[in-house]
Amino acid sequence: MPPRANSAVADALPEEPPTRYPPGDLAIWIFILAELAIFGIAFVAYAFARMYNVELFNEYQQHLDRRSALANTLVLITSSYFVVRAVHAIRKDNSHLCVRWLLAAMAMGALFLLIKGAEFAHHFALGINLSTNTFYMFYLFLAIFHFMHVIMAMIILAAVALKARRGGYSAREHTGVETGASYWHMVDLVWLILFPLVYVMH
Amino acid sequence: MQNHNKNGKGLQPCTWVWLIMMLLTLVTYFSDTLGLSNLAISLGVLLLALIKGHLVGAYFMELRYVRGFWRWPITIWLLLPGILISVAFYLTSLQNPG
Repeated sequence: MPPRANSAVADALPEEPPTRYPPGDLAIWIFILAELAIFGIAFVAYAFARMYNVELFNEYQQHLDRRSALANTLVLITSSYFVVRAVHAIRKDNSHLCVRWLLAAMAMGALFLLIKGAEFAHHFALGINLSTNTFYMFYLFLAIFHFMHVIMAMIILAAVALKARRGGYSAREHTGVETGASYWHMVDLVWLILFPLVYVMH
Repeated sequence: MQNHNKNGKGLQPCTWVWLIMMLLTLVTYFSDTLGLSNLAISLGVLLLALIKGHLVGAYFMELRYVRGFWRWPITIWLLLPGILISVAFYLTSLQNPG
């Protein structure tokens, strides 16, 4: 896959030169687009299913914990910012700092999973599952599917951090860091739409 | 990506973007207190989400430096579901006035 412009050189320039390809391995971008397509279809399906069950959706939406969702949104946005800083660090050939930013991002990811896990535990304790009603079917599908993506993204970041710790990346070659970062941002991007759609819009 | 100000002082663009997204998230959370109609709140917070999504794509994923095909998929992904969700909520409001 085409590497980005030599980052050591790019860092000395006032502006990043235009490039034909996004950061990281192009294969991850094809994967990202496929994932986004699935979530996009699910979001639209939620909105139109709500059209035929508006009272049900409005009623059960009130049972969701909006405060937890707000906390999780702030946590994921912050984690994405940490990942950006990790990419900047490796472009300056600072593996040690890159690893620290990646670990901070993973800690935020773990916090997201903890908060979301507590929310799921609450629902399951009440006997709520995918077949409870149409609203919970959509909510649980979207939330659990996204939850699994956060876990996957954390595994990817852990692998990247491990390689970075061993000196596997440099200012010259850090495609792996950019690849992991792009996937993490996708997970953040999905939640940015999921949060208002499921928790706020009524 | 050159993410420092030219004189090396002040916040980096990515830090500004992070702060703006945190602020927009808080506005989304407290949108119910603005005294607007349900439809206005729904479309408003959706717009804020699309803006945040654009910021993630442009600044965090660095697509603002990309020219050609790969610059657009995230934008299209935001706009297409965004428009369809807006239509669904608008039609719902017509069917359920008040």
